[in-house]
Amino acid sequence: MTRFRELGPVLERALARGGDFAEVFVEQRRTQALICEADRIERAATGLDGGAGIRVVQGDTSAYAFTNDLSAEGLTAAAEVVAAAARAGQAGRVTLPLVSREAAFNPEVRQLPEEVPLADKAAVVERVNRAARAVDGRVRQVTVNYRELDQEVTIANSLGFLAEDRRVRTVLAVNAVAAQGGVIQTGYDSLGGFAGPELADGDVPEKLAEKAARRAVRMLEARPAPSGRMPVVMAAEAGGTMVHEACGHGLEADLVQKGLSVYADRLGEQVAAELVTVIDDATLPGRYGSARYDDEGVPARRKVLIERGVLKEYLHSLITARRQGAEPNGSGRRESYRHVPIPRMSNTYIAPGKDDPGRIVADTERGLYVTRMGGGQVNTTNGDFVFEVAEGFLIERGEIGPAVRGATLTGNGPRALSLVDRVGSDLGFTIGTCGKDGQGVAVTDAQPTLRIPELIVGGTAHDPEGEESL
Amino acid sequence: MSLEEYGAQALTAAQAAGAEEAEAYLSRSRSFVVEVADGKVETLHQSTETGLGLRVFRRGCLGFAFTTDLSPGGLRAAAETAVANAAATASDPFNRLPGFTPAEPLDLVDPVLRDLSTEAKIDTAMAIERAARAFDRRVTRVEKATYTDGDHAVAILNTRGVRAGYSGTSVSGSITVVAEAGGSAETGWSYLFSHRRAGVDPEAIGREAAEKAVQLLGARTIGTKRVALIFDPLVAAEFLETIGPALSADAVQKGKSLFADKVGEKVASPLVQVVDDGRLVEGAGAAPVDDEGVPTGRTVLIRDGVLQGFLHNTYTAAKGGTSSTGNGIRASFRGTPEVRPSNLYLAAGKAPREQLIAEVSEGFYVTAVMGMHTVNPISGDFSVGAAGLWIEHGRLARPVRGVAIAGNLLDLLSGVEAVGDDLRFLGSAGSPSLRIAPVTVSGE
Repeated sequence: MTRFRELGPVLERALARGGDFAEVFVEQRRTQALICEADRIERAATGLDGGAGIRVVQGDTSAYAFTNDLSAEGLTAAAEVVAAAARAGQAGRVTLPLVSREAAFNPEVRQLPEEVPLADKAAVVERVNRAARAVDGRVRQVTVNYRELDQEVTIANSLGFLAEDRRVRTVLAVNAVAAQGGVIQTGYDSLGGFAGPELADGDVPEKLAEKAARRAVRMLEARPAPSGRMPVVMAAEAGGTMVHEACGHGLEADLVQKGLSVYADRLGEQVAAELVTVIDDATLPGRYGSARYDDEGVPARRKVLIERGVLKEYLHSLITARRQGAEPNGSGRRESYRHVPIPRMSNTYIAPGKDDPGRIVADTERGLYVTRMGGGQVNTTNGDFVFEVAEGFLIERGEIGPAVRGATLTGNGPRALSLVDRVGSDLGFTIGTCGKDGQGVAVTDAQPTLRIPELIVGGTAHDPEGEESL
Repeated sequence: MSLEEYGAQALTAAQAAGAEEAEAYLSRSRSFVVEVADGKVETLHQSTETGLGLRVFRRGCLGFAFTTDLSPGGLRAAAETAVANAAATASDPFNRLPGFTPAEPLDLVDPVLRDLSTEAKIDTAMAIERAARAFDRRVTRVEKATYTDGDHAVAILNTRGVRAGYSGTSVSGSITVVAEAGGSAETGWSYLFSHRRAGVDPEAIGREAAEKAVQLLGARTIGTKRVALIFDPLVAAEFLETIGPALSADAVQKGKSLFADKVGEKVASPLVQVVDDGRLVEGAGAAPVDDEGVPTGRTVLIRDGVLQGFLHNTYTAAKGGTSSTGNGIRASFRGTPEVRPSNLYLAAGKAPREQLIAEVSEGFYVTAVMGMHTVNPISGDFSVGAAGLWIEHGRLARPVRGVAIAGNLLDLLSGVEAVGDDLRFLGSAGSPSLRIAPVTVSGE
């Protein structure tokens, strides 16, 4: 592996033919995956991946190249490729010596991946499999995924910044398939963190398995979801896909600056109900989206994006911050050395409010109660979003009624957040891999129990005679 | 060093580490991407990458490792971790490698793409943007217009005598635009892929994205209704992609397929023909051999609405007592070969798209869908956001957005009422326009 002392000359080489910023991102990653399916461990895979991405920025143009050759010669050759592509004229300046940046927080991983034998990890996976199958005879198939990432990065740029980081992330996920009389349904749950194998300590594997398997069985008996506009209560345990889609993506400064976000030019304005405060915080201990630094070497920090409904801050990479004259806020992330950093979320959540979560359901005459959200998507330009309800129930006269099968909820970001009328005092996180521009990054999203008086439920049960089709 | 030489060294390293059988998959790819907006280059990406995916077999157990370090030490590390991984997996009598079968070559190389200047590539991206802006003055923003090309070489070697390899070029163009009018802002998107430069027309990409955005201007939601749907070819191709997993023999063998136990039964409208063809050069999935080195071919999966069979790799074929259909496919050298479609398409019918629309008294012509990754490929249940044009009395009457369409994939296949003549591929999945019997469209 290249020593960071050697990165100064690489930056100089990258800027030799012009440019006002250069950066080297060196990465070594080791991944381990285990997959159990059909009642046995079917896949065990290790990835040994290393490379460096080099970038030169001149005005609004970026040139990027990567190489798997981490020798000094390899890095120099890649620097020459970007220098030739940039072709800006006069050589740019590199501030030397490179100086390490102080991180604002230091996440601790109790166990490093190499400290735990593969057989112990396989045993965890087998426990999840057994526990899920034990829940109900109708559970026909169980898929368990264990994934760990051990990523070491060195980031240096021509401003003289240097950051070195090691990120350890572990995920345990289970998908249960239940079948009965020709109906087949699934139940999924996952757990992940900035953590090593200790993530699965204690009875975590069994609890996770039971949640997923029960969900699959419950969906067998669930009725079709309703369709049309109605009040929706999202439980804290449902996770935070709604906030991620309804406003998170629209606050990414690259989209904002291109006029591709409904939140563009609205800093200081009321964009959500006063009850709504949205925070993105990469410094939460142990959370899947946490890191000491972003992927441009900027120390992670907590960002209040929306405070009591008022838009305060966007998510910035170095480039978008410079363009707007804002401070970089540690949101420049990338999937790997093969990708350019762009503004991204980390751990994004709506801050808890004052309502008793139980009262929120009790005060809702009828509607949909969401206990698990799945994936989602947003059109940031017009603000329309969708997210999947992986588990939901009808609310009937203020009580939780029968389960309904998955349906998408559709809404418009600023409109939905302006309508939020109850915010609970609880908070629940779910993990995900957030996709943007073909890059996936680790995130968590969270919300307290909250109510939106009208969202469109995209079910199949439609009663054309009824006033409101519930 | 050539990919074959690295492969031979990797097999030797695997055997030295204790593997009884081994397979080396090597790929070397060069890629070039340019993104432009407002007539300026925003990003230029260039890269070359070489990597190895190594599968080893020991006492019926399978282990895998990949590496980007092809030095002797890197190959040794990959071999040792792969063998260690095999010890963590269960033994399975069907874990095996294919033997050698020669494949007919397939011409996937356009030499023009190997010699194109950077300027010509930038010009292509600029031409996409110009065409979009020229289409209509209401096209006010371009997120980015992208030109991508690549050159890819693959070698597959195993200890049972497989020695396969091929190379191919690729080119694609795409754009996302915003049209604005009267306080309404809508997006439109288009994408074309080809192995040959002539297969990507920048004008067509720009025009299509612009048209999609402009026609949605002023879109509003509608009241909840059950109406006939018309999918444009790209939307239909996105839906077709979601049935791919259920057509894999692996899903069938594991009780995870909608189509299990239905071979010989009617699973779709008689108008539906679904085919997987790894030798179809129009698709992004074209290759003479799959990623285990087995020759690819044409597999008819649904004929006149009747299920004919499933896709296989070497493992599922051994387990099912049949032969591989050449569908052992990896995402890249970083993954194992799993059963996946190569180029999956629904065959074209005879009706022009205009006729599909004209025959509907009230319906919804869907031009964009959102949240397709939430479609459940196991239960077949789907509920996705949609936008498009409302059809009244056979005419496109007004734009609609902020609605959801929901149902089950099996009902969708059975509900195909008409098949258009405009088959088009979106990467490796293709479909013509389709008209579907009434489905619930959720709105206000």
